[in-house]
Amino acid sequence: MNKIYYLLLITLPFAQQLDPVDVALDELRTVVETASRSNQRVFVDDFTGLL
Amino acid sequence: MLDEFPGTLISTEWHSPGYTPGDSDFEECYYYDNFGGCYGARGNLFNVGGIPHTEWNGEYDLTGGWANGNWEPAYDYFIGFYNQLIGSETPYDIVINGFKDGLTVNYDITVSMDDDHSSQNQKVEIIVVEDKIMSYWTGASEYHNARNVARYWISTEDLDINSAGESQTFSGSFEIDEEAWNPDSVKIISMVQNYGNYHVHQVQELNVNEFDTDQDGIMNNEDNCLSEYNPEQEDIDGDGMGDACDPCDNANIFVPGNVSGDLWYYDDTSLEPTVLVDVFDVLLLAEIVELADEESCGYEAGDMTGEGDVNIIDVIALASFIMEGAF
Repeated sequence: MNKIYYLLLITLPFAQQLDPVDVALDELRTVVETASRSNQRVFVDDFTGLL
Repeated sequence: MLDEFPGTLISTEWHSPGYTPGDSDFEECYYYDNFGGCYGARGNLFNVGGIPHTEWNGEYDLTGGWANGNWEPAYDYFIGFYNQLIGSETPYDIVINGFKDGLTVNYDITVSMDDDHSSQNQKVEIIVVEDKIMSYWTGASEYHNARNVARYWISTEDLDINSAGESQTFSGSFEIDEEAWNPDSVKIISMVQNYGNYHVHQVQELNVNEFDTDQDGIMNNEDNCLSEYNPEQEDIDGDGMGDACDPCDNANIFVPGNVSGDLWYYDDTSLEPTVLVDVFDVLLLAEIVELADEESCGYEAGDMTGEGDVNIIDVIALASFIMEGAF
């Protein structure tokens, strides 16, 4: 029985650690998706002359 | 500013015929299929009434200038426009590619979307410009570097796509006017523009000497296989033609003398074949010389004298080498 307690004791903290990993992965996904979006470049129509 | 923001700031100069000396050859440009009308047609989109006038993605504009060609005060306005517009999200991206054959430019312009957007009034402009024309500017009393001067407004196309993941390609060709344009400075500029409010949603430019037809990251003028994807540029025989498109391995098979490319194994235990040079190579070389077949793999292998040219002397030389048991 003690072994089960020990097992739970060891497992629980690691299970809790999954949350920050998930959060980090979500943040990474957001960063990647944002970075892969097309960014607007700027075009200038320059109506001009030489006189 | 163009040098300050390369790749993200793209421009086209539309020269007013009335304010550009007639002895310059760019007081107008080809507009669709005819010469002339570029300045007026483009200017009408933005109600341009005079020069100088700049339009920034069709959203911001500055009209008027300062005396004696003093442009510096305009910079403060321009940088503000640029910072307002740059990096905004847009569903469009544009890739310009193609192939340049002498003075003929064949282009493919692909517009792709990574988000949904209505195609209503969306157009794709295709414009050819010439960059860096040193020109005398009377107002400033000095020569200046005219940038991206409109030479040929090729077309205005309908953009039909409207959903993420879709793409549409516009293909065509044009001739570089070698007498008037510097072939080294010719670019294609393409943009997605809405013909309801004339806002520019995306723009891209590419010098026609920087095409990468096979999309392997190596520009055509440096690529050893123009239409085969070979980013590593392997060239086993070092003849300048990459393995991906070189039918002749002149290092291991079509070595000097082995005009036919025949290989044989010394015996059953041989792991690697060796070349076989015999009288049939002489006969084949004679045929190559007679037909002037420079495309055949045996042509280079038959250059026994190493002159870079294959003729009857090479046939005689090959026959002599065989007779002497040189192979």
